Amino acid sequence: MTQAAPVKAVDLALATIAQYGRSDLEDRLRQARARLLDEQVRVLVVGEFKQGKSLLVNGLVRAPVCAVHDDMATSVPTVVHYADTPVAALVRLLDTESDDDLSRRRTERIEVPIDELAKHISENGNPANRERWSYAEVGLPRRVLTGGLELVDTPGVGGLNSVHGAATMAMLPSADAVLLVSDASQEYTRPELEFLRQATKVCPNVACVLTKIDLYPEWRRIAELDRAHLAAVNIDAELMSVSSTLRVESIRTQDADLDAESGFSALIGYLREYVVGRADLLARRSTVHDVLVVTDQFAGGLRAEQAAQLDPDSAQGVIRQLTEAQQRSAALKERSARWQHTLSDGVADLNADIDYDLSDRMREIVRQSEEEVDRGGDPKKTWDQLSTWVEQEVASATSANLVWATQRARWLATRVADHFSEEQNRLLPKLRTDVADVLGSVRAMQLRQGEPYGIAQKALSGLRGSYVGVLMFGMLGTLVGLSLINPFSVGAGLLLGGKTITDERRRIVSRRQHEVKAAVRRYVDDVKFQASKESRDMLRRVQRDLRDHFTAQAEEMNRSLGDSLRAAERSVKTSKGDRERRLVEIKSELERLETLQQKVRTLLPQENQRQENSTRAIPEQGR
Amino acid sequence: MSGPVQVGGQRSLSVTVRGVLRRAVDVYRDQPQTAQWLRHQLDRLDEPLRVAIAGKVKAGKSTLLNALVGERIAPTDAGECTRVVTWYCDGPSPKIVMHPREGPLTPLPVNRQDGALIIDLQGTPTEALNRLVVHWPSQSLRTATLIDTPGIASMSTEISRRTLAFLTPEDDSPTEADAVIYLMRHLHATDAEFLESFRDQGVGRASSVNTIAVLSRADEIGGGRVDAMFSAKTIAQRYRKDPTLRGLCQGVVPVAGLLAQTGRTLRQAEFDALTELSRAPREEVDGLLLSTDRFLRADCAVSPTVAVPAIHPMEGSGGRSELLARFGLFGLRLSVTLIRQGTDTPSALAEELVRRSGLDELRQVLNTQFTERRDLLKARSALLALDSVLHGDSRADSGPLRGEVERILAGAHEFAELRLLSALRSGAIILPKAELDEAERLLGGSGGATEVRLGQPLGSGADELRQAALEALARWRRRAENPFSGRALADACRVVVRSCEGIVARRASDS
Repeated sequence: MTQAAPVKAVDLALATIAQYGRSDLEDRLRQARARLLDEQVRVLVVGEFKQGKSLLVNGLVRAPVCAVHDDMATSVPTVVHYADTPVAALVRLLDTESDDDLSRRRTERIEVPIDELAKHISENGNPANRERWSYAEVGLPRRVLTGGLELVDTPGVGGLNSVHGAATMAMLPSADAVLLVSDASQEYTRPELEFLRQATKVCPNVACVLTKIDLYPEWRRIAELDRAHLAAVNIDAELMSVSSTLRVESIRTQDADLDAESGFSALIGYLREYVVGRADLLARRSTVHDVLVVTDQFAGGLRAEQAAQLDPDSAQGVIRQLTEAQQRSAALKERSARWQHTLSDGVADLNADIDYDLSDRMREIVRQSEEEVDRGGDPKKTWDQLSTWVEQEVASATSANLVWATQRARWLATRVADHFSEEQNRLLPKLRTDVADVLGSVRAMQLRQGEPYGIAQKALSGLRGSYVGVLMFGMLGTLVGLSLINPFSVGAGLLLGGKTITDERRRIVSRRQHEVKAAVRRYVDDVKFQASKESRDMLRRVQRDLRDHFTAQAEEMNRSLGDSLRAAERSVKTSKGDRERRLVEIKSELERLETLQQKVRTLLPQENQRQENSTRAIPEQGR
Repeated sequence: MSGPVQVGGQRSLSVTVRGVLRRAVDVYRDQPQTAQWLRHQLDRLDEPLRVAIAGKVKAGKSTLLNALVGERIAPTDAGECTRVVTWYCDGPSPKIVMHPREGPLTPLPVNRQDGALIIDLQGTPTEALNRLVVHWPSQSLRTATLIDTPGIASMSTEISRRTLAFLTPEDDSPTEADAVIYLMRHLHATDAEFLESFRDQGVGRASSVNTIAVLSRADEIGGGRVDAMFSAKTIAQRYRKDPTLRGLCQGVVPVAGLLAQTGRTLRQAEFDALTELSRAPREEVDGLLLSTDRFLRADCAVSPTVAVPAIHPMEGSGGRSELLARFGLFGLRLSVTLIRQGTDTPSALAEELVRRSGLDELRQVLNTQFTERRDLLKARSALLALDSVLHGDSRADSGPLRGEVERILAGAHEFAELRLLSALRSGAIILPKAELDEAERLLGGSGGATEVRLGQPLGSGADELRQAALEALARWRRRAENPFSGRALADACRVVVRSCEGIVARRASDS
């Protein structure tokens, strides 16, 4: 990451505050530093299949890393990021008990030669992702990827509301930007716009890419139509037109004109300046904020001491004010603080709401599928269709629930921050809302293979019926003095036998219906169990992150105030000579802090500085 | 009857169906509306086959229709274009008639511009229209009325709904189309769903028999490379083997609609322009044909020598944009290559373009699957219609009619063949690959002609055919009587045996 300047600023700040021995504040700066070094900017490349997503990624990094084929599509997501030497690996998430901390989930990582990667990630060599790779990783030394840019080529979804589509949707909250790829052969379809609408709800940057403009003379019309569609549903997304074919051709022929015509420069510009730039700005802002907050705490203490040293008579007043402030900050730490209430109530409400929402959606699916089963007769015939339908519905319900939960969680975080910032600066910690692949961990639905209703069974059950029939009519015959087996009772037996066969068939059909219903319920329950565990875990993490963050802030402030208070109290007792020497010291220390602050502020562009100075409010959105 | 060598008495089938319909008209004479509707079904038996062209938005439905007709009578556009169900049928003179939902039929003026028909609704909102009917004198429309439908998954739910309502009516009334050509660019979940919904129609339970899937806009696969059609063929091959699709349609044919349309309507001026283009140095032409923008740039620095003459006195790149719209980048690349290789007349070029577009294969399939089965498909539609009437309105005197419908469905061997064909295709009955192919062929799955059914080369001698028919008969008899065959399999074999008997009997009566 090219966060050299912010990292340097943090290092300088660390050096400056080293003498005060405040490990808590130093930790905070060290965390900020680690975050800066680790920052990834993830860009999802999504769209229906065969729109040219893989070729687009290849064009962006100027290398054939993602498999491109006329027919076969990508089956495994591919993550392309910066590396000093080209490297490729396949990653598989191992089945483990779901762990609270996602980073600790076990993964299996196998390095493969970069030119063999295509074999593993396309439908050709790995149909329907038979080998169950979670994703592939490619590292390339490309300038476009510097700054932590991470391109994710997703499998084409084949109807954006399919299971694949839901999986893509679940990745959205963790993305910094989404590129919706659609080719210039036609304007947006309804599923595409629906997807865009969902995406804009959870992802800060959504952009549209119109591909294959070399092939379609009317691409400008299509672009216009698409823009009109976007405007009609109030989606504010940029639309860029590119031709990957021209880009590839220009790389081959080293033709700058062709490259210009390919339209990639605008796309790269968008990614570099807007997406990475915005992430960079965010990183800078939070760095500046961290440094300013930390140094302000020292400066506050020093100023209080300065005031007390300058005018010992007013020292008591300063001490009183500081004591009050310290009490207030102590109150802020307490469970009774208003933000704590907001947080715990909010999380409880949210838990209930999300759970209810999920149950509601699932119940509807169960209800509809049961209706379908009742209407459809023998479910053996419709099982394939039904199970696909259920899987799809469940997938989209889960992802819709997840998107909604993420939105609500963010909103809650803002509210908690609002309440906290009535006393304190408002700064949201980075939220961890990424949820593991919920659907992947649920067993595929299985219907017990219904026993074949073969001829043997038919004969047997038919006999059973007719035996009773024979017996009954035979008895009847005995009663009236006829022999046990007579033509009449045999005929009646046959009749009853026929009846039993239809009865038996009906019984089997109704049993199958029950089995199907049970299978659907079991599946839905499994998914619900997993999904609600995931969302509960997510909320718990959010709650813990928020609580820790704000408590730590309150703690820091409390400690700083305590320090100031002690310094002020000390000043009352010092002699005149000491006082003057201390005043000089304070002055130089304040100057040092001031220089540091000045320097750190230069990390931000002008307009942001003004904002920075006026409000000190830096909404660092959890991404 | 359309083909002289068809098996079984289809004439007699349509006679029986006619008889039932007449009786139904008689039974329902006290309900003028129903009687009228049934009479309409009766008339329909004499009309050409109705083939609907359906598919997602921008799948190239109108373009394919134009290619099939050989004239540009269906309007096409880069944006979503067809918004009303439009019927194209044969007529003595060009005529466009608007069928509003309410009110009288309104004729529309017939305008053509650059050979393309312009349909001007004169401000009538599309919602108020039931359909448009275009009468056009055309040989191609004489055998089948083509119905252009708005795209599915359209941005406008209303427009999608119109197509769905037309092809798969909600109220279980049978669709107005006898057969469907379904266009798709790639197999999407929605495509399969749609085909499925079209399949589930009670009577005859012969599902996939009246649907053909077309892999459309095949020239755009792989970015319009010159070998795009080969790729398309491979893809179609794969789709044909796809179990879901196999059960849903009779076949998958790749077609480059634009190429076919242009090939069938190629003009001298266009050929001249292409010839001139192909005379320019190769690198320059290749550079021009790299992207549409390059081709359209009139003052393209790369190739100052290439001057494509304007076909119409338009300004700037007018001639080129017209050319591009007609051929597409793939068509241009292909045409230039063909002319360079020595295709020197417009007719030769047109022929080659049509041949490469895959249109011939499609027409071939349409012929064997739809035209040869015309009477059967018609009879099926009529019975479906009658069945819906009988189901919707149970009256005391309709009992015998219902029995009659049931009898025709169960008794007519043609329906048995259709049912078995679709059962075989959907994998409900399991046979080894070779036997499966033979069974499908004998049942008329690849065409009704005796030679085709027997898998003999066309023009085989009568004796050879007879011999082959007898051998097939014996083979399938053995299979039918094999005690190890399950019941369903034995039943299936008996249907094939019956088809073989029909072939043998026909050979005997012919000679």
